[in-house]
Amino acid sequence: MLNVCKIIIHIAILYCIYLFGNWIQTALGLFVPGSVIGMVILFILLSTNLIKVSWVENGARFIVDNLALFFVPATVGVMNYFDLFAGKGFLLVVIVLFSTLLVMASSGITSQWIMHREEREHE
Amino acid sequence: MNNLLIGLIIVGATYVIYLAAKNIHKKVAISFTAPVITSTIIIVAILLSFEISYETYMIGGKWINELLGPAVVALAYPLYRERDVLKRLTVPILIGTTVGAVVGISTGILLARFAGFEDLLIYSLTPKSVTTPVAMAIAETIGGVTSLAAVFVMIAGIGGVLFSSLVYKIFRIDHRIGRGVGIGSASHAIGTSKALESSMVEGSISTIAMVVSAVVVSVITPGLIAVLM
Repeated sequence: MLNVCKIIIHIAILYCIYLFGNWIQTALGLFVPGSVIGMVILFILLSTNLIKVSWVENGARFIVDNLALFFVPATVGVMNYFDLFAGKGFLLVVIVLFSTLLVMASSGITSQWIMHREEREHE
Repeated sequence: MNNLLIGLIIVGATYVIYLAAKNIHKKVAISFTAPVITSTIIIVAILLSFEISYETYMIGGKWINELLGPAVVALAYPLYRERDVLKRLTVPILIGTTVGAVVGISTGILLARFAGFEDLLIYSLTPKSVTTPVAMAIAETIGGVTSLAAVFVMIAGIGGVLFSSLVYKIFRIDHRIGRGVGIGSASHAIGTSKALESSMVEGSISTIAMVVSAVVVSVITPGLIAVLM
């Protein structure tokens, strides 16, 4: 029971940071989603020890371990778009797949190249 | 029945179905059985067979939806836990994910445009490489459909895992850091669980790449759209 209380309090803290991120987004007129701003803020607060990791740990771990639960209602919404995938929709799958493999190759090659270069410099 | 009761039933049922899906995934641990896919299929099947509309489902669904924001904020926690690795490898991870982000967004937009798809669909597939809650937030800001964005994220996740060995082989990506950054940038959480199977190092690099790429993609997407659309 104590753990459940902790999870709820921690999620409430995360929610406040999310609202703060939203506020920054509107105040500065940014395109970056408020939730992502909130994530960066929490990372900075944790790294600078302004927020102790024990204040959010249980809630954050519960959310990250069950991340899929939180977007199931949104993915169910695909039922309103079935007709979009009929016909040409298959092409979208191919495009997404092809682009994904390009992301994997380009980011992987780049970081590997930097690593090899650094390793050579150290030798 | 009033909305409060309907909402509670829907939240409860969604949670139970999710737990069952999680159990299935534990027994059949392949990426096709990712809990989000099984849960979505079960819920859609129930809604369709009882002729319940998505709007009715969302009476309860929107309560869960409300937690998507804090869920994105919570991603700072795994990044914080890997902070030592992040500090040591800032340059290769940051540059690798940024290159991947630019490639992913531009090829997605250009190919879909070339194939003649409408803007709504193009904006929905643009953020496909990042973890679902962030992709939905980005899709919402740029004018895509959040639930379609989630479907494209799933395709990127599963497809990336299925073809990762092939990509590593063709492009000779044999360094653990190259592989971790590659799969984390392209296939987010689904890719990360695959990377964790290979090694702890690959898993933590992939976790970092997933979170960093979520930030990078949200920052550069509006600019790239302005250029490419």
